[in-house]
Amino acid sequence: MSGVGALRSVGLRTAPTTRGLRRWLLRPEAPAAVFLVVLLAAFSLAADRFLTPDNLESILVQVAVLGIIALAVNQVILAGEIDISVGSMLGLCAVAVGTVATATGGLLAPLAAGVATGVLAGAVNGLLVTLGRIPSIIVTLGMLYALRGVILLVTGGTWITQIPDETRVLGLAKLAGVSLPVFVMFALFLIVNAVSRNSTWGRDVFAVGGNRRAARLAGLAIDRTRLLAFALVGAFVGIAATIYVGRAGSVQTNAGEGLELQVIAAVVIGGTSIAGGRGSALAPVIGAVLIGVILNGMILVGVPGVWQSAVLGALILLAVTTDALRRRLVGGAA
Amino acid sequence: MRTSNRSALTVAALAAVVALVSGCGETGQGPQQSAKEGGKIICLMPKLVGIPYFEASKTGAEEAAKELKVELTYNGPTEGKAALQVEMIEQLIQRQCGAISVAANDPDALAPAMKKAKEAGIATGAWDADVKKDARDVFVNQATFEAVGKQLVDIMSKQTGEKGDFLVVTGSLTAPNQRAWLEEMKAHMADKYPDMKVAAVEPGEENLQKGIDVTRDYLKANPDTAGVFGITSVALPGAAEAVEQAGLDGKVKVTGLTTPNEMKDYIKKGTVEEFVLWNPVDLGYLAVHVAKAQLDKKLPKSGKFKAGRLGEVEVVKPDEVLLGPPIVFNKDNIGEYDF
Amino acid sequence: MSANQLRPLDVLKGVRFTRELVLLCLLIVLVVVLGQMSPVFFTVGNLLNTSRFFVEVGLIALGMTLIIITGGIDLSVGAAMALVAVTVGLAHQSGVPMALALVLGLAVGLAAGLFNGLMITRLDLHPLVVTLGTFALFRGIALGVSGGGAVSSFPQWFEYFGQFYLGPVPGQLFVFIAAVTAVWLLLSRTPFGRYVYAIGNNEEAARFSGVPVRRVKVVLYTGIGVLVSMAAVIYTSRVSTSRADFGAGLELDVISAVVLGGASIYGGSGTIAGTVLGVVIIATLRNGLSLAGVETTWQVFLLGVLLIAAVFVNEFFRRREE
Repeated sequence: MSGVGALRSVGLRTAPTTRGLRRWLLRPEAPAAVFLVVLLAAFSLAADRFLTPDNLESILVQVAVLGIIALAVNQVILAGEIDISVGSMLGLCAVAVGTVATATGGLLAPLAAGVATGVLAGAVNGLLVTLGRIPSIIVTLGMLYALRGVILLVTGGTWITQIPDETRVLGLAKLAGVSLPVFVMFALFLIVNAVSRNSTWGRDVFAVGGNRRAARLAGLAIDRTRLLAFALVGAFVGIAATIYVGRAGSVQTNAGEGLELQVIAAVVIGGTSIAGGRGSALAPVIGAVLIGVILNGMILVGVPGVWQSAVLGALILLAVTTDALRRRLVGGAA
Repeated sequence: MRTSNRSALTVAALAAVVALVSGCGETGQGPQQSAKEGGKIICLMPKLVGIPYFEASKTGAEEAAKELKVELTYNGPTEGKAALQVEMIEQLIQRQCGAISVAANDPDALAPAMKKAKEAGIATGAWDADVKKDARDVFVNQATFEAVGKQLVDIMSKQTGEKGDFLVVTGSLTAPNQRAWLEEMKAHMADKYPDMKVAAVEPGEENLQKGIDVTRDYLKANPDTAGVFGITSVALPGAAEAVEQAGLDGKVKVTGLTTPNEMKDYIKKGTVEEFVLWNPVDLGYLAVHVAKAQLDKKLPKSGKFKAGRLGEVEVVKPDEVLLGPPIVFNKDNIGEYDF
Repeated sequence: MSANQLRPLDVLKGVRFTRELVLLCLLIVLVVVLGQMSPVFFTVGNLLNTSRFFVEVGLIALGMTLIIITGGIDLSVGAAMALVAVTVGLAHQSGVPMALALVLGLAVGLAAGLFNGLMITRLDLHPLVVTLGTFALFRGIALGVSGGGAVSSFPQWFEYFGQFYLGPVPGQLFVFIAAVTAVWLLLSRTPFGRYVYAIGNNEEAARFSGVPVRRVKVVLYTGIGVLVSMAAVIYTSRVSTSRADFGAGLELDVISAVVLGGASIYGGSGTIAGTVLGVVIIATLRNGLSLAGVETTWQVFLLGVLLIAAVFVNEFFRRREE
């Protein structure tokens, strides 16, 4: 809900002058934001239970895992790389969280185990890309297979069940009527947004992704910048895994399968350029919320199960077409 | 200097690959080609490996293999895809299995490969999920689609006063066995409980989180829903978790099909009163016994078949062995099972 | 072992380490090792039979190679394959003659590819963005129109099509070899092939030097649609059934083979020979490990490691060359 609120405030602040509007429309996430508002209006008209605080909150809870991971993958994509290993990585981190949770209980130990596993896996990705000089799509595609293998080998195919309630707090507890995952997602968004705008690393990410030659000539630490981005993905996947385990209450061996493409969809629909260098920290959040709204809205409107994937695809294409339309109207980079 | 360095590195790199590949080969549990004297390898293929259900079958299969002193290969794809099974069946034919029995992801897709196995003189069978009749000699059936469908609806009817609208959460909208259960459920409702109706079918995509989300969203949009059926081992825990999280436990009834270990909490808390499954350990056990009988040419065409600790099992059709009626799990008996 | 291998390497002294050579070495090593692990592996029958299982991935990989060389990607191939299979199945079921059903399937595959191509070029959208959308759209349409059901009552001759052998050689291998030859000629012997590389190296420069960038791209995405249709028909015939979940995850299998074959995801480089080697290596590894009785869970792990290791070795040599 606060995502929508944030959007509106951005819109209101810049609405008075046409120049301000134009500038706002040039922001990478603007087309997705406009499309999101249109979609919210459409679903509100079509299903009377859609636009309730309770339903909007549950959409945000449902996209928290996706949004958190997309926030970090967004930084990797901004830096001109890609990470498609996050599906298996989430599975592995969830196994770590679940194993520690059933052994020791508590929240901090499982969370730490999840984050540590994630950072380790992320660092392996990062090191293979930077030191190994292997293209990131190959490293992370390989890791997608390898980590899924590790999950199956480690668990022997059994699920981890009966996660203690204190571990599940991060997934289930509410504060002032809003679930914790929503707070976690927005807290992480605020942090990434601040770091992205104000820290050296945050600015280097854009430079490295935008023009690597220029970044090298300017003496930027290209490898360290990218390595940190990959490690960040690991850390965020670890946090997301704790939420995932909390919400699901058990860990399946196929946890996270197919998530990698959803995450990339969230990032690019939100408006971050897949070619790197152009985008914002808000883009993946808007992209994730957009996907969540579509999935939730379809069920509330009553789209039959067999047609849901088609509607999802069509709406994703419409969302990205908005971007093309924007470029026709106000210009801006592809 | 440069070239010789490079050669050394090539050797090192190639050696590493060799070591990697051969090292892992030793950890595999495949049968050595010298099959035991007189015995032939029994090859049992699950729909996929790495899920509790088929790990449970594996336990049973290994138990039977030990009892009967036959060599067993239990391996399947890591994803439940028919095409991967086709490929593996063809490889099993080359590996000279004496008997191949499959849990088919698709009855038609596997048929050509199984026919090929038959032509190669291999004893063919299906277990858990059948292939086309002419593509196998025998089917080890755990429970008919009809029995399962009826059982699920009967359980639900008791809890909801034989009426209401229901949601069905599936694993995949294309899986033949789930489609068959769904048809049987609808037929049984129309037949016996005219006030019960399947109002919607939502895909859970064998993903726990997705199952939880679609169930919650659906219940929000349709608060009058009387109950939820989760008809796979992922869909049922997901549906139960969603009903619990929405604070609807007790109001919205939940039942379905899954292995008991995942459900112990929900049974204890009362979110789910009863659910159904056969015993997958026994199913794997029976499948190996039947395959062995095929090899020994001792499988009867009717009447009873003696299968180790299971005792007498019924041969319901000339080419079909039935494990027995499905088990209904509830708080009284769930403690007795561990799979 | 290393003593045996030193000798052939002396012969190789001064040979340029191209990607294809590294892959060829890898393939030979794999065949030797897997042959040791399973006596059945190294038989003509098995090796030829293996080819039946990589033809579908291989056909699509040919088109994907060209697309990746231009710096693009197509994530919708698995979904498009399901769409074609379902079209053929439903058309046949509703009484359309089988031959016409196949033509319809081909038309749908072509249209799917054309749709991708037009979205990418007309709206100036990144291929990954468009095909992520059509990835859900095509699969969704297949699922929606079929209602999730399977069609499997195909005529005998059609089932024969994907399952016949000419002597010991499976029929679809001929289709694959023909397609490989055609695409190889297209890429290496025609102006169109030069355009493909030019776009991948520098799209702006290519446009200014008169390369019809948009038209080339539309042709490429439509072309992969046609290859997907062929793969879908072979696949449907091989398993004699059609279902909307066909080809799930196929896009990653195809991309794995292409990048293992050396095509750069950033565009500008890649060869058909490399891709064919990539396809064959992955198929060989899977087949050999299965025959040797290695559990599939290990195979998934090894595939990942191999992908990274092979590219690492290649990068290593490439940098030494420079």
